[in-house]
Amino acid sequence: MDELVKAITAALEDCELVLGWARDPATGAGRPERFTSAGQAQEAIFDATCVHNLAVHLPRLKQRRVGIVVKGCDARSVVELVVEREVERERVQVIGVGCDGVLDLKRIWRRHGYGVAIEDDGETLLVDGSEVERQPLLQHKCRHCLDADPSIYDVVVGGRTAEGPEPRGERQELAERFREMTPSQRRDFWRRQFARCIRCYACREACPMCFCRDVCIMQTQVPHWAGGEVNPKEAEMIQLIRVGHLAGRCTGCGECERACPVEIPLMLLMEEQNRALEEMLDYRAGTDIEARPPLLTFDPDRDLWGDE
Amino acid sequence: MRIGVFVCQCGTNIAATVDTEAVAEAAMSMRDVYHAESIQYSCSDPGQRQVIAAAHQHRLDRVVIAACSPRMHETTFQRAVIQAGINPFMLEMVNIREQCSWIHEDREVATTKAIDLVAAGVARVRGQVPLKRGRVPVVGEALVVGGGIAGIQAALDIADAGMPVTLVEREPTIGGNMARLDKTFPTLDCSSCILTPRMVELKHHENIRLMVSSEVTAVRGYIGNFEVDIRKKATCVDEEKCTGCRICEEKCPSRAPDEFNAGVGESKAISIAFPQAVPLVAALRKEHCRQFIKGKCGVCKKVCPADAVDYEQEDELHTEKFGAIIVATGYRLFDWEGAYPDYGGGLYPDVITSLQYERMLSASGPTGGHIVRPSDGREPRDIVFLSCVGSRAESVGRPFCCNVGCMYIAKQAIQTREHLPDSRCYVFYMDVRACGKGYEEVYRRAQVEAGAVYLRGRVGKIYPRGDKLVVMGTDTLIGDQVEIETDLVVLAVGFAAAEGAGELARRLNIAYDGYQFFTESHPKLRPVETTTGGIFLAGACQGPKDIPASVAQASAAAAKAIRLLSREDLETSPMVAEVNHMRCIGCFKCAEVCPYNAIEKQKLHDGRTVAVIIESLCQGCGLCNVACPPQVISLRGYTDNQLISEVVEVLR
Repeated sequence: MDELVKAITAALEDCELVLGWARDPATGAGRPERFTSAGQAQEAIFDATCVHNLAVHLPRLKQRRVGIVVKGCDARSVVELVVEREVERERVQVIGVGCDGVLDLKRIWRRHGYGVAIEDDGETLLVDGSEVERQPLLQHKCRHCLDADPSIYDVVVGGRTAEGPEPRGERQELAERFREMTPSQRRDFWRRQFARCIRCYACREACPMCFCRDVCIMQTQVPHWAGGEVNPKEAEMIQLIRVGHLAGRCTGCGECERACPVEIPLMLLMEEQNRALEEMLDYRAGTDIEARPPLLTFDPDRDLWGDE
Repeated sequence: MRIGVFVCQCGTNIAATVDTEAVAEAAMSMRDVYHAESIQYSCSDPGQRQVIAAAHQHRLDRVVIAACSPRMHETTFQRAVIQAGINPFMLEMVNIREQCSWIHEDREVATTKAIDLVAAGVARVRGQVPLKRGRVPVVGEALVVGGGIAGIQAALDIADAGMPVTLVEREPTIGGNMARLDKTFPTLDCSSCILTPRMVELKHHENIRLMVSSEVTAVRGYIGNFEVDIRKKATCVDEEKCTGCRICEEKCPSRAPDEFNAGVGESKAISIAFPQAVPLVAALRKEHCRQFIKGKCGVCKKVCPADAVDYEQEDELHTEKFGAIIVATGYRLFDWEGAYPDYGGGLYPDVITSLQYERMLSASGPTGGHIVRPSDGREPRDIVFLSCVGSRAESVGRPFCCNVGCMYIAKQAIQTREHLPDSRCYVFYMDVRACGKGYEEVYRRAQVEAGAVYLRGRVGKIYPRGDKLVVMGTDTLIGDQVEIETDLVVLAVGFAAAEGAGELARRLNIAYDGYQFFTESHPKLRPVETTTGGIFLAGACQGPKDIPASVAQASAAAAKAIRLLSREDLETSPMVAEVNHMRCIGCFKCAEVCPYNAIEKQKLHDGRTVAVIIESLCQGCGLCNVACPPQVISLRGYTDNQLISEVVEVLR
């Protein structure tokens, strides 16, 4: 970890703060931290418990020079933010870290107890001192990760231990099952899921691309697309608005789903939409810093449906 | 809030399928509706008086008219509500004719739907606020793009009306395709003799500025206020100094293709296209010039008595403002070679296009008016004309008629007999279309006086035999194959849009069809207007047409432009986008998608940078409205909340 501390310390010469992770004394897992001094930077860590996508903070730090530690998936968020001109690439020092996948802490804690001791070297996972199978305890997104290495960075720290995880987990099975459903079955499925939504807006707050924040359309009367009540009808509306607003912009970091306290499988919907848009528009959000997102461009010559 | 609902019977157009009394009765129970009635013909004078009287009597401040499409009568009823002292934008038209009575049969279902639509209209008008039109001044100058006969006619008409005109032509001379024709049907008068006086008139007209070798590269703005970038290409010749003596052309050692003569003969790298060119100024084509290819030559510069040649000349960029634009970019011939391999695909020198034949007929053309075979320079005895090459031909993707082929074949057959009395013309045709004034007579003359043999059928193949060509076709009237051994084959090649027409249309933001011909706003009632206000069409750029039709359309387009330019200002639509600055997050996705560049950044006192709409540029298309993530941009008159309440009513 010396390398990471050194990189953060070096970045601090140029930046007023660096976003990274430190160890949470209560659980022993990583938690987001703002490093502002070389002394404080000594606490910086990166391991499989550093699940958060810190890019969510960048739009709120406009006009300031900041550093940020990113995993491969987080880097895609930074790229998409630059593409959408929310973040100027020049004012951000990107410190990339090699990642072997991060853990589904909720699942581990539910099974083995909150704050249980976790040791992980990228290949072997020890929970409470005994070895457990690593792959099923990774976040869904990590089990079929295509972005383990950061695509943009100013400096890279550490490499990956293993090759990428085998890209097949239960999420694929769920997705395949979902694809086999008829449209009305899908609607019923999502109505059941959204009926559990408590409108806490954690999904929105955790999403790096939801930078409207407190002027969000989910919470306004003008225009009155969704009412303020907490009920299945309004929840369905706000969730569908959120999915629509992320069309062609979602980088698949999975933070909405991780943040959801009632565990709605939001990424299932997002990933299906991402897949459809990639097929239709040949655009994968957050992979090309020079890109002009097709849904944010006026181009009458573009033929979305081929040469029909 | 006091809303009046008027349900039109439109005679039986609506009343036969929709129970208008029931709709009016249902409307009475809708929120804020104080008056509702059914009217027999609401657009008639008594009908409008009924609306006005009811508005006064019930002190209405909003009016819903359930009748036909707003495209028909919105302005009629806007005028009526103004007379009733109501803001014209507090009117909502609900279409219960085209969108209801005309498309349904079941009276009960149609009536229910009409009630739903009226409820939606009432919901929208409840959220409406009075709007005021703005005014923008009109720039009093017109731009004509293209200097063929249509562009010339349009420019002269506008200039004669006393308004300044700029004519932009991309070639070094005006005249267009008509200047390449020898004689014109049906009167067989000499093309140059009738065209060149107009060209000269244009050149010397005090209201016309002529820009040749120039192209429109960008168009911004809107009706009455276009801002146009024009690039004047470097021709290496000073237009002011050149006297048109053509010594440079005579001495120039670099040969170049002769586009004016459709490739018959050769030209030089520095040249004047034809003796009557306007302006009579030489132009140098760098891609063929030894000075530019090899870096040394300088002959033209040396021999020019006027010292007009300047190799250092650079492109000039002009940005000008215009109130109206007339597009008259004309046509070119369809590229037939690739589409017709059975006709030799361009490999047989004695298979030529009608335009090449036209240049041969011309006394000032490359052969001095002699008809000769390009292969050996011999006079032909037998000549075969093929109609509809790249016209009315589904198989090569050109299903439309070229409008002029039948006539110019007849004309050329007559001329052939005059040039070569011993010659014999054969014409393969599909149908002869000679329906213009005096056209049939030309066709008869070709058969009777010129003795042209007309064979009804398509030609399947052309192949050489010795120094002759064999044309194999069908004569569908005798139902047999025919084979003609001939000296020369002339193809009546169909029309294609001018090169780069689609690109120009995109710059102008006007519509065009699959063949890149520009699309008129309405095929019958708005034949010279485009879908963009202030831009009009003239001539073959809109579709194949002959000279009389092009000239007539050019004058029509000029009349439309004059009508616009004679106004001091124009009313603008108040239905433009509006930004709620309190909630704007400054992401500028709106600016990215705006097709009219109507969105600017503005820094507020609190340090935030927000989007502002330039109302004079905004066309109210609503793209920004959709792109805005927190939806703080709305369209006046069509706010999200108005649309939401409409939808809610329909779904209730």
